[in-house]
Order: sequence, then C-alpha cells, then structure tokens
Amino acid sequence: MRSHFIFAVLAVALLAAAPARAKDSGQKFKTVEPKHFDRAEGVELSTDFNDYLYAELRNQLQKTKLFAQVIGEGEVVDDADATASVVVSGTLTEYKKGSVAKAVLIGYGAGSRSLKAQVNVTRRSDQKNLATLEVHVRASPRWTEKVLAQEAARELAKQIKNSLQHESAS
Amino acid sequence: MRSPALPLGIATFLRRNRNLALLAWGGVFALCLSSALLTARADDPKPTPANTIHVVLSEPVPPQKFQLPVKFTVVDVVDRAGNPQPMLVTNGHGAIFVDRLPADIVRDAIESSLKSADLLAADASSADVTLGVYLFHFGLAAGSGGDYFGKVELAVTVKNPKTGKSQQVSASGTSISRIAMLKKNAMKNLEENLTGALGDAVRNLLRGQALRDAVTKTMAESSTGN
Repeated sequence: MRSHFIFAVLAVALLAAAPARAKDSGQKFKTVEPKHFDRAEGVELSTDFNDYLYAELRNQLQKTKLFAQVIGEGEVVDDADATASVVVSGTLTEYKKGSVAKAVLIGYGAGSRSLKAQVNVTRRSDQKNLATLEVHVRASPRWTEKVLAQEAARELAKQIKNSLQHESAS
Repeated sequence: MRSPALPLGIATFLRRNRNLALLAWGGVFALCLSSALLTARADDPKPTPANTIHVVLSEPVPPQKFQLPVKFTVVDVVDRAGNPQPMLVTNGHGAIFVDRLPADIVRDAIESSLKSADLLAADASSADVTLGVYLFHFGLAAGSGGDYFGKVELAVTVKNPKTGKSQQVSASGTSISRIAMLKKNAMKNLEENLTGALGDAVRNLLRGQALRDAVTKTMAESSTGN
C-alpha cells in the first residue's frame, strides 16, 4: 500500500515537471542568421563546400528548437525582434585532407580528414559577442568532404545551443 | 562472268557465299542501328506523368515592407544555368523531371509572392521597379551522397524604368533532404527539396537587405530626378 502511494507521488511529480521541462527547452530567440563561413589562407576545399556547410548548419540550427526562425543570409529582421536575434559567422581555419594509406596501415584515427573552424555568435541589435567557439571535427578519409561538413554543422549547432543556453541562464 | 583479276577459287567462294555476306552486313547494320537507338534513349529520357514532379510554393513568401510605396513587375526570367535539359532533375530512378521550365517556376514563385502583399503592378507600364531575373542554378548540386542537396541561385537586376538606373541583387536558396531508395519516395523528397530551395531563394530575394537597398537607391534617384 505504501509503495503504491510512493509510486503515485512520483508519477504526479514527473507529470508536473514535464511541462516545465518543455517550457525550458522552448525557443529563446526569434531569429538566427547563419552566414557563409570565410576561409583562412591554405584551406583547400571545393567551391560547393561552403554552400553545403551553410545549408547543413541551417538544418541543424532548426533542429535545436532554440530559434523560432532560421533566416537566410542578408535578410531583414524587424527592429522589435533584433534584440532576440543572433548572427552566426565564422572562419574555416584549418583543413587536412587525410590519407587513406595511413588510415589503413596505422588506423586508430591516423590519416583522418579534419576541419577546424572558429565561430562567433553575436546579438543582432548591438553586435555583442555572445560566444566564440572552436570546433574541430574528424572523419574518415574515405568519406567525402561533405560528410565532414555534416559533422561540423552538427557539432556547431550543439555547441551554439549549449553556449546560448548558458548565456541566457546567466 | 568470272572476274579476271581474281583467282578461280576466291571468285567461286565469293559467288557462292554472296548471300551469307549480305546477311552478315545486314546483321552488322542492325546492331549499329539498335546501339545508336539505345544510346539516344539513354542520353535523352523523356518526361512522362510517372516521372514528373510539380514544384510550386506551398504558400507565398511574405515580402518585406518598403519605406516608400512601390510596385514591381517581373520583366524577364532568363535561364543562364546552361543546362541542356533544364527540366531534368536527376538521372537516378530512370530520370525525374520537373513539370515546367525552371524559369517559369521561378517567375511564378516571385509573382505570386509579390501579389500576396499587393506589390505586383498590374502591367509593366505602371510598375515603379522592374525585376530582371537571371537564373544561374536550379536543381540538385553535389551533396554528400546520402542526401539531395537542392540549390537555387538568382541574380536580379532591379531597375527603375523612369530613370533607367539599375542595381544588381543576388539571392540563393538551399535545401537538404534525405535520399530515397524507392522512386515514389525519391520523387516526394525531391519535390519537397526543390520547393524548399525555391522558397528559400525567393525569401532571400524578397526579404533581403540587398533588395531594400536597391529599391531605396533607385527610388531616391527617381524622386531627385537623377
């Protein structure tokens, strides 16, 4: 009888916490505008890579559910929404093509493709820097560079979400 | 009748096997013809209702609000993609096509969006600003291999017909969706993908800061009489 009572109390507590949790993971920002990333000197990637990374980043930012709208580059935002809007810009600082031979002969991550990017998240209204992130992703050299872009976009969206949640909490 | 140039044995052999030689040449000719037909068929698939998708904006893109009252007209949509088969989306699944020319799809999307906000002029003569659209890409671009990467790229000449001054604006839209094994699903995904990329490009154009600046500049030139 007592165990039933405890179970019922726990169930009620969980049900009560659920809406609060849903509310907590709600959209905190009106818009986010990712920009095409710049490339540092020596970063040799195909011309399509930046477009693909941009498109994938938009997809991943949408999935974070932190932003009501992911707008395109250079789109206007209403003045009322500018304070709750952020801009994501960045630079691809390093790209290593990798080596299939090393990956096969040595293994354990040797010879993998890698990409480093430095990303800034700024508030649209006053250009205040909300976060500066460093992202380093690796992929097998057998995969195309677009797979690396997917990984980079996923990692970026995750880090942006974490940093903005901490920013709004503090 | 015997040819004096040929020895007796060869001439006899040729005479006796004339029918066989004709048959062989006929066979070679038929083989060439069928291979040419097959090649032509492989290079030039045709759109049918079973392999055609309909790309149209599900709802018009709301354009931005301009400081001055302005009416647009789309004078031209020129396809500069240089695609020999502009309606062909992919050769996969025995070829998938769009039902209209990309230029018509883009024109329809821009005009319907402008019309929804009452920014489309009734005719070209009553327009304050004309839009000349150059379409540089419409369709799939190279993706990761596991997805469809749709891309639409536009360059638009924003022109004031009264002063003749013009500004160039570019806009692009992208969309990524999952690849599909079945043709039915592939067509559905491609339709969503291209519609998404089209909507994104039209939105990027009509809600872009670049269009606002171009319109403001051309209208200001008109009002000052420059």
